[in-house]
Amino acid sequence: MIRSMHKKSHGHRNGHKRRGTPLIKCLTECDKGEEVRVLNVNAGYGAKRRLAHLGIVPGVKILKKKSAPFRGPIEIFVKGTKLVLGRGIASKILVECNETCSF
Amino acid sequence: MISHLPKKPKNKEGKYKDTINIALAGNPNVGKSVIFNQLTGLSQTIGNWPGKTVERMEGYLDFLGYYFNIVDLPGIYSLSTYSLEEIVSREYIVSDDVDLIINVIDATNLERNLFFTFQLLELKVPMILAINQMDILRKRKIELDFEELERIFKLPVLPVVAVHGIGVHQLLEKAIKIVESWTPLKKEFEFPELTSILSFGKEVETKIKDLTTEINKNQDYISDFHYPSRFLAIKLLEDDDEIIKIFESGEKVRSNIEIAKNYRKELEDYHGEDINTIISSEIYNNIHKIIEKVVHIKSKEKVKKTSLADRVDHLTTHSFWGYVILAVVIFGIYAFTFTVGDFLGGLLEGLYEDLSITVYDTYGEDNIWVKILWNGGVGGFFGAVGGVLVYVIPFFLIIEILQDSGYLPRAAFLMDRVMHVMGVHGKTIIPMILGLGCNVPACAGCRIMETEREKKISVVLSSLVPCAAVMTVVMGLVGRYLGLFWLLFLFTINFSVILLVGRVLNKTMPGVCTELIMEMHEYRVPNYSVISKQTWLRSKEFIYKALPLIIVLGITLEILLQLRALDPINIVLAPITVFWLGLPIVTGVFLIYGILRKELTLVLLAILASSMGLTLLELMTPIQMIVFCLVTMLYVPCFATVVIIAKQTNWKYALQISLMEITVALLIGGLIHFGYIFFTTL
Repeated sequence: MIRSMHKKSHGHRNGHKRRGTPLIKCLTECDKGEEVRVLNVNAGYGAKRRLAHLGIVPGVKILKKKSAPFRGPIEIFVKGTKLVLGRGIASKILVECNETCSF
Repeated sequence: MISHLPKKPKNKEGKYKDTINIALAGNPNVGKSVIFNQLTGLSQTIGNWPGKTVERMEGYLDFLGYYFNIVDLPGIYSLSTYSLEEIVSREYIVSDDVDLIINVIDATNLERNLFFTFQLLELKVPMILAINQMDILRKRKIELDFEELERIFKLPVLPVVAVHGIGVHQLLEKAIKIVESWTPLKKEFEFPELTSILSFGKEVETKIKDLTTEINKNQDYISDFHYPSRFLAIKLLEDDDEIIKIFESGEKVRSNIEIAKNYRKELEDYHGEDINTIISSEIYNNIHKIIEKVVHIKSKEKVKKTSLADRVDHLTTHSFWGYVILAVVIFGIYAFTFTVGDFLGGLLEGLYEDLSITVYDTYGEDNIWVKILWNGGVGGFFGAVGGVLVYVIPFFLIIEILQDSGYLPRAAFLMDRVMHVMGVHGKTIIPMILGLGCNVPACAGCRIMETEREKKISVVLSSLVPCAAVMTVVMGLVGRYLGLFWLLFLFTINFSVILLVGRVLNKTMPGVCTELIMEMHEYRVPNYSVISKQTWLRSKEFIYKALPLIIVLGITLEILLQLRALDPINIVLAPITVFWLGLPIVTGVFLIYGILRKELTLVLLAILASSMGLTLLELMTPIQMIVFCLVTMLYVPCFATVVIIAKQTNWKYALQISLMEITVALLIGGLIHFGYIFFTTL
């Protein structure tokens, strides 16, 4: 979907210097067990407020735990708790991955 | 569960020094109810918040000469308007009914818990922080600096291990100390100024301060709403619809909305994010700073061992085994309920029969008073206790275990996709599982749904789930006389109807399905005392409300039978019951009674059969039993359910739903009747 989006300012994390720009996906596209950083939440007022109160704001680290079968919801680990997000809302959360874009 | 306020024991002249009203607040699953149970024991009541469909847990305690009135608020994450629970909580906390809050915090998850503490701070109500689960923290070799916490928050912070009752009563001792330190006029309590670590960043803080000054200009008007002006300012900035309503209601304060709007825009432009993200991020940043100061990890090694809870979690959310387990759980609920229920019911039935023989021998079987009082009254009582109560108690027990252990959110996770077909998200499965016991708490449980549309669909789906009362009818007739195959047949039809109705509602109702956002807390061993008390409280409600009704109806029915007063009603209903459904003519009035409580259809049928000296199989043919059960399963939800649907939505909708369900029930019942005739004549 948005695999080709780049954002330079988020290139270096955890003190590790890497080449290339990090890959940006929506949360639904991430693999099980992948740790990612929230870039943007693209939802409406209510959902966005709810997610913000639960700690899902830009810059926060999220661990994707698993997703339910038949395109069901996904389970993430954020701020010390497991949260379940419906696929629709999860696809509106843009995240930055550890891997970098391939050239 | 019609709203009723608990009775307060009278404070006898001079017996208590004072009454202290405490509200327990915190996130869900932090051990709030365990602390509540430790404190209040059996002297607690479940009611409803006046005019609201939110449950209110209240308890009393006599401690060190003080009379404590403790309210266990619903578990929430913030004080916005996301759910009714949040609104109820914040309105209650600022009301005059609360002297102080005990904020229960899970030590193992400070980050999320402190977010709520930050929100509570803004309400400026005296507060004690109770850090629960300290034993687990110690096991992980993590230390918490309580003195630093107290210095930061300027509030008393106490360690608690709720499950073992450690530190629980110290909370009250602290509360007494606080109350005794107040001047005779309680309201003069000064809430400490927020330290810099507790306040927002410079830009946000200036806007809030400016807005607060603006709001304070109309102090006299605003003070009616009890909220501190700073809280109002924050909420105005956040565009909180309930608070906006307050400001819209007053001529003088209306201008503040516009000011807040401009401030909000300035802030959003400055930060490039929306206001809720800005505010939440700043709070979480502050929390991060606090945690760095107070949490000291002593052991370097990370605990990598997967615990039993993790393994159970993995299995119950597995894409194959998860569903198998869900099916087993639902079957298990019924199996457990009915094994226990049948056993106890059998004992009671035997007892009733033995007693009946003695009574008949003494007073004569044809004595009219024996018929009315014994067959009607005592028979009705035994029918209710042995036919219903023995099933209700084990059901509540198993549901409480599922709820307390943390299984239900897993079911929501698995079923989310299926539920989307019916226009709701996975959480609807929770009230539906509750509906297996009783549709009334199930429909009340639909309050967890976030939007009006979902609530409307969820109440219908929940009201169609075969409840324990319906199950007693189905098990007592089809299960007992016709066997498992026909039982499955009935359930297949019932669940197909649910799916179909949901599909149709989803297509016809305007709006779109919202998305699931839900916490899935760790599994834990259910707390014995919480479960037993909850089960008892819920059963008590049933005993007080339903049992008297059943006995009175039993006597009335017996009188009506003796007077042959039922015949006209039955004749009026005959075209439907006899012609369309092919049922015996007497069932007409039973189906009417069934609207009051569904199990009455069977209880009354059994009373009738016994008064005629017949067994149920002699009274009805197998096909009649199937049709009768099916109609009982599907037709209009019982009266209490209709009331609760009306409360959750409105009366018009509740009546529409009832009519729709009657139509569906009669349609399917008639189809089976005529289908049977058609096939047998072939």
